[in-house]
Amino acid sequence: MSEIYDIGYRHYDGPRLGRGHTVRALTVHSLRGIFGLGRTARSKIMPFSLVTIMLLPAVVSIAMMALVKQPGLIPYSGFAVIMQAVVAIFLAAQAPTVVAPDLRFRVLPLYLSRPVTISEYVGAKVAAMTMALFLLVAVPLTLIYVGELLIDLPGPPGTGEFFGSVAMALVLALLLSTFGLAISSLTPRRGLGVASVMAAYLLSSAAVPVIYGTLEMSGYDSQARWAWLANPFWLVDAVQSSLFGTPSHAEGPYPGGPIPAVLVVALIAAAMAVLALRYRKAASR
Amino acid sequence: MNTVVAGITYRALLGRRRILLLLLLPLGLIGLAILLRVVGSADQRSAVLLMDTFAIATMLPLLGLIAGTGVIAPEIDDGTIIHLLSKPISRPVIAGTKFLVAASVLGLFAAVPTYIAAWLLVRNEDGIAFGFAIGVLVAGIAYAAVFLLLGVITRHAVAIGVIYALVWETLVGTLIQGAQKFSIQQWGQAIAAQLSDSPFVDAKVTLGFAVPALIIVTVGAVLWAGLRLRTFSLTGDE
Repeated sequence: MSEIYDIGYRHYDGPRLGRGHTVRALTVHSLRGIFGLGRTARSKIMPFSLVTIMLLPAVVSIAMMALVKQPGLIPYSGFAVIMQAVVAIFLAAQAPTVVAPDLRFRVLPLYLSRPVTISEYVGAKVAAMTMALFLLVAVPLTLIYVGELLIDLPGPPGTGEFFGSVAMALVLALLLSTFGLAISSLTPRRGLGVASVMAAYLLSSAAVPVIYGTLEMSGYDSQARWAWLANPFWLVDAVQSSLFGTPSHAEGPYPGGPIPAVLVVALIAAAMAVLALRYRKAASR
Repeated sequence: MNTVVAGITYRALLGRRRILLLLLLPLGLIGLAILLRVVGSADQRSAVLLMDTFAIATMLPLLGLIAGTGVIAPEIDDGTIIHLLSKPISRPVIAGTKFLVAASVLGLFAAVPTYIAAWLLVRNEDGIAFGFAIGVLVAGIAYAAVFLLLGVITRHAVAIGVIYALVWETLVGTLIQGAQKFSIQQWGQAIAAQLSDSPFVDAKVTLGFAVPALIIVTVGAVLWAGLRLRTFSLTGDE
């Protein structure tokens, strides 16, 4: 009576690529999503206009070096600090696009039904955001450096400062991306995520100079220096300053010693812990 | 004004943990005022500096953004606005109600903390506290209207609003003198300068320009948002 129909399901005979490839695919997919690649033209506007704004100082710098034969207007070590508002807007605008849709449409169990663990999923997202932020800062820096080499200014090129600032760009990108993703993963709504990251950044960037100025005017010079560490950009600049001996790019000196570096590591660990807790909860729903 | 729509909007804006986001910056402002008091530099100069750099230039645009887009953008984002638009309520009334909710939230979370922070520093000297509170309130109302309109027009309202508030109002406003005329912050500053006798408060635009500009922008943005809602079409996500 009953009959088994052959409806044509096929077995997969191709190569099995393994765990590493799933993580890599997820990272590449997220990275493309951050820049709006593979999505509509409208979602490319925001990331690419911010990338263009980041490239403008590099172009102006190269033009100045070529025309007046003088070092450009922005030092390598100060690039991230001077452009911090643009980097922060990029983080705020794009970090929620990495994490919010998966949370909002509750597709996390679908990912986890594949051989992807929660830590691999979060790791891929952090890696993608870190890479995007690193590219955002390091590409203009590299452009200026190549320009400096080609124009061949009098005096040696700032090779050491350039490589130092590229290394610090990676640290900054990791710090910002873990923080930005931790904050924006708390809400499944994209707009709210953008506003939360922006509020956190603006609080630190607007409050810190006021705190520094007040403490310094009142004679608490040594305490005032610690205020800079409350903003991620100045914090990483402080680490750079103690590692490579570059001048401070804030309006005052930083506290020296190993504490800024320890603080960076502690903050990254704290943000990772928040992400882990958040996703342990999100995965169980 | 529709009280049911207003109630839903208040709940959407302040419910659950979202109120924390609105509280973050005002608490920062009051915290800074307390810090200034503790280290003993509670004079008019530092009070006006705190109001200029933190209250008007940082806290107000961001709160305006959160409240102004927050009353409508999330509903458009997840498509629940269709339940509201399919009810027999005039669309301009919906826009007007949502604007009033945003404006009242800004009054509570921006103007009141501004008054408290300035009062902590200089009490009621020379009308600094009162002047800045009213300036923040009026500019906040204009921000609510503009960002409500932005939330209706585009899905990237928050990011575009951040760029306007940060890049245009601070960067372009300081570099190009003429651009300061088209800055809501400067209009609020003009009102504060008018109401305060302190020599430290100065404005870059005249009151004769600021008041009509504030009224035109606010009324125009709310009306336009209402018109946009009348011919609103829901499109898919990205």
